Amino acid sequence: MSAMWYYVFTLVFFLFDYFILAMGLNIQYGETGILNFAYIGFVAVGAYVTGATSLPNAAGTGQQYILGWGLPFPLNLLLGGLAACLLAVFVALIALRRLRTDYLAVVLISVSLVLYDVINNYVPLFNGADGLYNVPEPFASVLKLTTNSFVPFFAALTGVVALLMWWVMSRITKSPLGRTLRAIRDDDGVAATLGKGVFRYQLTSMLIGSFYAGVGGGLIIQFGGSFNPTAWLPAETFVVFAVILVGGVGNNVGLLVGALLVETLLIHLPAFLPDIPGHPGLIEYIDTIVVGVLLMVMLWFRPQGVVPERVRRSPFSLATRSSKTLDDRAIIVPTNDGESTPVIQQETANG
Amino acid sequence: MPALLAENVTAGYGRTPIINDISLTVEKGTVTTIIGPNGAGKSTFAKTVVGILRPTTGRIMVGDLDITRMPGHQIPRHGLVYVPQNDNVFKNLTVRENLEVGGFAAQGNTDARMEEILSVFTDLNKAREKRAGYLSGGQQNLLAIARALMVDPSVIVLDEPTAGLSPAYTDVVWNQVERIAATGTGVLVVEQNVERALKHAHFVHIFVAGSNHVHGLASEIASLDLAAIFLGRAEANRS
Repeated sequence: MSAMWYYVFTLVFFLFDYFILAMGLNIQYGETGILNFAYIGFVAVGAYVTGATSLPNAAGTGQQYILGWGLPFPLNLLLGGLAACLLAVFVALIALRRLRTDYLAVVLISVSLVLYDVINNYVPLFNGADGLYNVPEPFASVLKLTTNSFVPFFAALTGVVALLMWWVMSRITKSPLGRTLRAIRDDDGVAATLGKGVFRYQLTSMLIGSFYAGVGGGLIIQFGGSFNPTAWLPAETFVVFAVILVGGVGNNVGLLVGALLVETLLIHLPAFLPDIPGHPGLIEYIDTIVVGVLLMVMLWFRPQGVVPERVRRSPFSLATRSSKTLDDRAIIVPTNDGESTPVIQQETANG
Repeated sequence: MPALLAENVTAGYGRTPIINDISLTVEKGTVTTIIGPNGAGKSTFAKTVVGILRPTTGRIMVGDLDITRMPGHQIPRHGLVYVPQNDNVFKNLTVRENLEVGGFAAQGNTDARMEEILSVFTDLNKAREKRAGYLSGGQQNLLAIARALMVDPSVIVLDEPTAGLSPAYTDVVWNQVERIAATGTGVLVVEQNVERALKHAHFVHIFVAGSNHVHGLASEIASLDLAAIFLGRAEANRS
């Protein structure tokens, strides 16, 4: 396989992976309104746990880490997702129950920084600043994949995982649960007055989004074979935010567009471009600036993103319903005890 | 048995009581309004009744059920619903979705209930697939009321449902309020517009400085010197 195709499939992998990450953040922020500035921490926990459960016992590997169970794909990936969920429960209990909006955001940034410092400095956990490496490539030995053939294989596998997770997320966002989350996003106080246990729904959203973060992180460590603290600086959270804000908050198709524009074309593609003569490495630094400027431009001129959130229409067309005359409709509403009570009287023409 | 009973309720924010020892009943099929000057505690009382604020003393009953210590989000399923004053709809959800969310605490066929409600709120029926944020202020208030009706409540509490509306739309809202009461639902309305409150309500309570200063039939209250009561210059005859 030529170097160019290697790069192309690497970009394809990041497209699908950031699509998964964007879906996770979108259900938290785009659907529920939880400003999770610690999101990259959940990605990291998923990556580390996936890696540590893939690796064999740490003795003799030259690394220090917990777990070391040598589990195969996809068990290790699922555990990565579940570990991120566990973190979500912890964070939700200390922060989400009592704090809202900006205060919650500040606390979540703090959580991200604490998590980063602990993992970076407490070496027995996930090998400290060196991070985990030599993580087994899924199916590589079974299918006898080389380094070159593994890249397109895993990009395709990630595509399948992303497709599956997109299908699940679409079912969630179109369900009554998704509708309730959007109601909470619009006004959690009003939602509470309608019988919604707001915290329970926010926790559900955190769990779903965190599972997506953990799986996305797990795929990253399995693709690259290593993961260390330089890969998840707290500022990385804002790249995922840029993906959903540029693509379109609350729209799964928009998230794919955002992942393509921001993560694939602006973050990773420039790394494969030739250096500007006399300025080695400059392009990689410029891409962060470009993403920041793009984010500002989008928020200023098109805050709804490239593909805006759609109105969820009823499966029954308006025309069909409105074609009924009022007299055709049941004016009596059944109640629990089997009797019927009128709701309110028919509005008169001049009413 | 009244639809709603509040007995000797004291509540506020933090340790500071805003309303003191207030008692009030809402009978089935009637409209009861609370009027009074700004800062009298009208909205605080409404929020306390529906469980947003916790009373420090007193008792709140819906029918024969004591809801005094019940978490706010559990109260709608027992027949007491609340329509807040401002920003009371989910603006990014369609009219239909708003109603569906309102039906969360309902039991039975919510689709049939929604169709029935939309057949009465004709403006909303025409706009059922539009985002609520695109509706006028009056339509949004009607949507908030319609959404509250999704649970087939025994009592509905409306916090200034006509605030900021044109006189024409104020009439539309009040007509709907009267229709709701005519079905047997008890309606409690916090209202700034004294004239409208006296015109449409069966019973009126005047709150002054956190107390239920005077209450009675609307016709009786109309005969009092309301300006003096609002300005604290008169100690009216308490009913």
